[in-house]
Amino acid sequence: MSHLLKKWWAALAVLGLLGIGLAAAGNTSVQAASKDNGEFKVGMEAGYAPFNWTQSDSSNGAVKIQGSNEYANGYDVQIAKRIAKALGKTPVVVKTDWDGLPPALTSGKIDAIIAGMSPTPERRKTIDFTNTYYVSNMTMVVRKDGKYANATSLKDFKGAKITGQLSTSDYDAISQIKGVIKEPAMNNFPAMRAAIESGTIDGYASEVPEGSSAEAANPNLKMIHFAKGQGFKTNPDESDLAIGVRKGYEYKAKINEVLAGISQKQRTQIMNEAVANQPSTGNTGNWFVSLMKQYGGMLLRGTGMTILLAVVGTLVGFIIGLLVGIIRTIPRPRSMGKRGILRFFDWLLAVYIEVFRGTPMIVQAAVLYYGSAQALHLSIDRTAAALIIVSINTGAYISEIIRGGITSVDDGQFEAANALGMTHFQMMRKVILPQAVRNSLPAVTNEFIVNIKDTSVLSVISVSELFFSGETIAGQNFQFFHTYLVISGIYLIMTFTISRLFRLIEKHMDGPKNYNVMNNQMQVETPKIGAATSRKDA
Amino acid sequence: MKDEMILQVQNLHKSFGDHEVLKDINLDVHKGEVLSIIGASGSGKSTLLRNINLLEQPTGGDIRFHDQSILADDFDVTLYRAKVGMVFQSFNLFNNLDVLQNVMVGQTTVLKRNPAEARSHAMALLESVGMAPYVNAKPDQLSGGQQQRVAIARAEAMDPEVLLFDEPTSALDPEMVDEVLNTMSKLAHTGLTMVIVTHEMQFARDVSDIVCFMNDGVLAESGTPEQIFEHPQEQRTQEFLKRYMSRV
Repeated sequence: MSHLLKKWWAALAVLGLLGIGLAAAGNTSVQAASKDNGEFKVGMEAGYAPFNWTQSDSSNGAVKIQGSNEYANGYDVQIAKRIAKALGKTPVVVKTDWDGLPPALTSGKIDAIIAGMSPTPERRKTIDFTNTYYVSNMTMVVRKDGKYANATSLKDFKGAKITGQLSTSDYDAISQIKGVIKEPAMNNFPAMRAAIESGTIDGYASEVPEGSSAEAANPNLKMIHFAKGQGFKTNPDESDLAIGVRKGYEYKAKINEVLAGISQKQRTQIMNEAVANQPSTGNTGNWFVSLMKQYGGMLLRGTGMTILLAVVGTLVGFIIGLLVGIIRTIPRPRSMGKRGILRFFDWLLAVYIEVFRGTPMIVQAAVLYYGSAQALHLSIDRTAAALIIVSINTGAYISEIIRGGITSVDDGQFEAANALGMTHFQMMRKVILPQAVRNSLPAVTNEFIVNIKDTSVLSVISVSELFFSGETIAGQNFQFFHTYLVISGIYLIMTFTISRLFRLIEKHMDGPKNYNVMNNQMQVETPKIGAATSRKDA
Repeated sequence: MKDEMILQVQNLHKSFGDHEVLKDINLDVHKGEVLSIIGASGSGKSTLLRNINLLEQPTGGDIRFHDQSILADDFDVTLYRAKVGMVFQSFNLFNNLDVLQNVMVGQTTVLKRNPAEARSHAMALLESVGMAPYVNAKPDQLSGGQQQRVAIARAEAMDPEVLLFDEPTSALDPEMVDEVLNTMSKLAHTGLTMVIVTHEMQFARDVSDIVCFMNDGVLAESGTPEQIFEHPQEQRTQEFLKRYMSRV
């Protein structure tokens, strides 16, 4: 009991040290991670039309997304291009999940956040903002044939069920309506549109461009035009949009200069173009065919990335698991020195397992990817970082699965192997692990399937796996239900294939149910035995 | 002929916690000798055997192999175990390997014999225990008696200097006991050194050079089969044999 407690304290201490180290390093300058190489790297979700979205070609002045064959466009992208031009740099879009944007900026993975972000006081604590590049104008989106379609004042929404996007000023502004039923905030606009259509909410608060996009994309929706002075009152700090930059960023003044040069008229013009150019819903003919035609490539690439992450993660994790299993079952050596070394390794492995099993993978990914850039000035490729994290994380789980498999092997098998004079490693390789692995396979299959699905959290470090692709697509075509239906179909095909495949492997490992009785020596010398023995040697 | 000492057990003690299972055991095993250990269940027979093979760590005393202490820090335990084979009560064939592989694996991994050599040696031994027709079978497809015969072949395949048998017939159905005892009798006549823990009195009497009677953690009496079975000196031995013989 106290032994276990000690291990826990050790693990906690390591975590604490890690945190202190990162915090200390975080206060130092982080310019080094992003070398000034003539690029202006802009972070955005590329899934928040009309501000930013993903498209498959470079039409309408789109900018290439770093590390992919896709392009980003929208109001944010057009603003970014103007700034980059004035700075004499090439604009590059780094597609990043919303929550991943601030760490990407502070760790130097990007130079600026132009992603429809408001300069709230909380955000100002960690990052700096330029002047406003888009002035907020809030509206409400409702059902066209609904009770609130003819509203002109906030007062008309008394008793209405209203929501807004999570952690935005839109959502906070709902409290301005007296007698409103404020529903829990939702993650993205496609979800809110679906919620209106299904009747779970009466409307959602948003910026005008989002409202006009919704109206344009879905004939069932309507944007409210409030009478003067009857709409939302907005606080520029909370709802105007500004560009996020690192504290002390050398080009901040220059960017403000560029922004000042873009008149309100030009801004409206850019926004109108963005609304007009945003990907159409393409609702002609079979929705499945048109979805596949428009986004098939994106889905395929997302699927490929998901498979890569799951296969490599499970495979490497399995190897880690085997090694840990072998080391943790080494019998206590007789000499004191060796015993000490073994104890130390045991302790280290226990810490490894507890730390990686005890923290969420999304946190591990963020710590490795952004933390390494921030604290150590290391720039790791994001796919490599994702592969490392999935592998190490899976390894921690499979280590315990294999340990369970080893424990479940009959003691007699160990004794018989020992009695033949096998070393620990020989015994593990020839006798114990083949049985332990067979016993562990169902649990390893589980891990594999979990990896297929749970790697979706890696979008936090901008890895475009299947779920992130689906989110992007739904953010553009507004076919929330259809897109996620296709995505779940793809996930199901993958997981089902894996579970069948592992059943086959299990059957193969069990070997044939029958055996041939060899009646004389001649028959015994047939190649069949040769095959059997060479299998053993392999 | 039986002068060379292979194994010496000296003042051996073994405790599990407060429970002392072996109390000051002394035993010599000479080359070519067949030594049987008899006694009631719980008297420490199996524990003695497991200590000799270091499956259990002695808590006191010494065990010497060719006059070298096997408990010394620098003693090569794996090499020693390769020379001292063991046959278990519950067979313990490797479940993931078939019959032939079970008999080959020790030869190829521990003795580093090449596979062809190991296979012909294994085949010869399986032939001698009557298991050659079953080379393809997995352990769980065989009867207990068949498994034990394969286990004997597996131990023999290492060409050991001593073979330890830990109640090799106790887990078998009565009709299978004979096939295993016959196999062991054949082995005993080859001049192999054997230490056998058994409840088969008739067998012990027939094949042994020395019979030891163990009682409550001590070796109460030892001698030739004739001495032990015909003229037991100790009262405990007499009582034990009386109970046992009346049952058969």
